[in-house]
Amino acid sequence: MSLFGTLSIAGSGMSAESERLSAIASNIANANSAGAGQAYRAREVVFQAAPINADADDTSQAGMTGVRVAAVVESSAPTHTVYDPSSSFADANGYVQMPNVNPVDEMVNMISAQQDYQANLEAFNVAKTLAMRTLSI
Amino acid sequence: MAAPIDTGLEFFRQVLELRAYRQEILSADIANASTPGFKAVDLDFTGALGAANARRPGADAPATPKRAWLVDDARHLAGGAASAVDVSPEYIKYQTGTEVTLDGNSVDLDHEKVTAADNAVQYEAAATFASQIVRMMMVAITGSSSQQSGGG
Repeated sequence: MSLFGTLSIAGSGMSAESERLSAIASNIANANSAGAGQAYRAREVVFQAAPINADADDTSQAGMTGVRVAAVVESSAPTHTVYDPSSSFADANGYVQMPNVNPVDEMVNMISAQQDYQANLEAFNVAKTLAMRTLSI
Repeated sequence: MAAPIDTGLEFFRQVLELRAYRQEILSADIANASTPGFKAVDLDFTGALGAANARRPGADAPATPKRAWLVDDARHLAGGAASAVDVSPEYIKYQTGTEVTLDGNSVDLDHEKVTAADNAVQYEAAATFASQIVRMMMVAITGSSSQQSGGG
């Protein structure tokens, strides 16, 4: 029944968005995590459209695609260095390598993830309401 | 001979199936609102319903029902036609006119939400009509509507 497919799709969207949110939280938490040799690099999730039931026997129902996190990649943005000779991570010249996390990017990304999550939740609730309504015919 | 008892219900069954299917497509759009390269689609409801109606088995339905119902008399109601709605891919169309972002995504979240809300209301309307048909049948069977509970 289509309404249960709707629930699955909205559920896949919610779990993907929450994974994105946890990547953002990880980035913000590590915005100042200097490393000895390699500083923390920002994580980004890659979304991909994915059929909700892999064993679908009918191909006629196109458009039944949920979403999944295909990969979590590290940002290729350059890290920056600060001069801090007192840090335990400082190299011979007194420079410390800092993460390539851009807090502004992360906040904007978080707002987008929040809105997408809410939209999925709304779709889930509507499908639930419709299913309950169908039971009372 | 009166019309089959499910004449009115069959139409609304198709409407509800298609509305539910459209809801599924719209929620797939919403789920993929941030997927790079995803193109928003929608169901041409009018066209799909017209096609479903054209396919609907009428009085000249095949004599052998698709399902093995316990039919031991030719006058018993034949089963079949209860399969899931099957929508031809030609009625699933890409949405046009929405802004395509730099990563190739064409989902307009506001538009999807409004369309999904509209579709949900239409679904509820069809469900209400279906309830009314059930109630009408109960009136015809029992002779009064007071014995029918539920519905809404």
